[in-house]
Amino acid sequence: MKIAVILRQVPDVVQELVIAADGRSLAKDELTYITNEGDEHALEEALILKSRHAATVTAVSVGGDEARDALATAVAKGADEALLVSIPLERRGDNHGLAAYLAPAITSGGYDLVLTGVWAADQLDAGLAGLLAVQLSFPYVGGLTAVAVEPAGNRATVHKEFPGGRLGVMEVSLPAVLGIQSAEQPLRYASVSKISQAKRTMQVKEFRGSLPNVEGVHVSRLTKPEASAKADMLQGDASRVAETLVRILRERGLV
Amino acid sequence: MIPREVVVVAEHVAGELSDITLEMLTCAREVAFPLGWHVTCLILVDDPKPFQALPLASDRTLIVTDAPLGSFNPAAYTRVLLHLLKDLSPRLVLLGNTSVGMDLAGTLSLGLGAPVVSGCTRIRGEGERLSFTSKLCGGKLLARTDVGDGLAIALVMPGSYNRELGMVDRVPPVEIRASPVSLEALPVRFLELVEPKTEDVDITKVPILVGAGRGIQSRENLKAVEDLAEALGGAVCATRPVVDQRWLPRTRQVGRSGMTVKPRLYLALGVSGAPEHVEGMKGSDLIVAVNTDPDAPIFETAHYGTTVDVLELLPFLTERIRASRGR
Repeated sequence: MKIAVILRQVPDVVQELVIAADGRSLAKDELTYITNEGDEHALEEALILKSRHAATVTAVSVGGDEARDALATAVAKGADEALLVSIPLERRGDNHGLAAYLAPAITSGGYDLVLTGVWAADQLDAGLAGLLAVQLSFPYVGGLTAVAVEPAGNRATVHKEFPGGRLGVMEVSLPAVLGIQSAEQPLRYASVSKISQAKRTMQVKEFRGSLPNVEGVHVSRLTKPEASAKADMLQGDASRVAETLVRILRERGLV
Repeated sequence: MIPREVVVVAEHVAGELSDITLEMLTCAREVAFPLGWHVTCLILVDDPKPFQALPLASDRTLIVTDAPLGSFNPAAYTRVLLHLLKDLSPRLVLLGNTSVGMDLAGTLSLGLGAPVVSGCTRIRGEGERLSFTSKLCGGKLLARTDVGDGLAIALVMPGSYNRELGMVDRVPPVEIRASPVSLEALPVRFLELVEPKTEDVDITKVPILVGAGRGIQSRENLKAVEDLAEALGGAVCATRPVVDQRWLPRTRQVGRSGMTVKPRLYLALGVSGAPEHVEGMKGSDLIVAVNTDPDAPIFETAHYGTTVDVLELLPFLTERIRASRGR
């Protein structure tokens, strides 16, 4: 079985996000990129499948130089192959363009399963996984928390999340694209030494295609949410805040 | 002629419409009414009975029936929707920004040649143009977008519109049709629906909840959170990343794919306030948020907030609450 995992670089939303002078994008110099969290879970799920079956996992990393680091981490965690898909920063957020760009790279690999995160932090159009499935003429199901592949390798049974903690159990014909919500197990860590070793020894294939001309969604303005509905902020050090908080709770009969 | 219809693609589980369907109807009304457009609620289902007498806030309810539509199946749904939507040729199609809507958006977008705007918290018709406001980057940013004059697909963020307004006091005209396309040989099959296990604490029934987020940093630190919950006579719940780490069971997860809670007190510790989580706890009577990031979106939902380090605050708070209770 051949599994491809698509890893995207997205803004780290834990860091401060600065809006650029054009008022429509993020200031590139101020951005820290991380691998999209859902994609990390997709990689973990692929490695879990690899531990159960005779599978090879190809990490497909999308972006500039930081995407190379993501490949090294993936290889250090257990991915067998590394494919770098170079794409300019400003096109990365548009999944319609990205899906069209990635499709030939994925097709030529002959994969049975293509896994990626069901969602990306900076996404504004449809999810990459669903769009890629259409480009590949593969079925697609997303929002998954478990994937099991039948021994014959032509079907997968998946768990899909629904609101209220419900799960739908579904069967999907392979090859398929699957959108991972979270892996069956917590993400594994790769040590710094293993990552540096992977950086030195891994063979990175590169894919460069021509960027498709896809008209995306036009952002007219990017803003931070208005502060009008902001919480009443408690001042002082931890001890002082604790004191104020207990007074508030007591006034409301909560302690 | 420019199409003048908004189609809401209903979500339902176990014979009941999901809240997001009613929220989308409210959204559709808000867009359609000032422009004189029509709203169609489109329900794909096996048995129309539970849905045909609902007083939905639409101009009509169109129910399409076939056996594989009994439970959500993205392959069956997209096959029917591509056919129907070409026929109806609406201006705007609303899907939930949910695990259902997200499965459909890509196929519908490419199949119908329509742009998709996701994470929508507000949609407005300005003249004949549509403008969208979306949340992105975990709720830290809002994007205003506009699309061309043709069909557009929008994913509506749950919790953005009032669901009560999605029902009115009359039943709109209802049309029931058989599926216009064959649903044989689908590449996806729905096998079964698994209800959540409730052998653990039922967090929807606990009056005081202490919510642990990523800012708690490690499993070891959860002990201090549990101590606080115990001192308060409440229970610990968590955001998705904490549950994904297996620090707490799934039954404690609050948010879109977990539970919706409305306790008297919700203490959010190290919780950033991503829309998926906020959706499940914003109805709490009193919300207090602790997060070192002053820009964390949780402070838009909380009544009280502080940026002191949660790990520093915990021992002080637990001690003072114990002292206060002992008095």
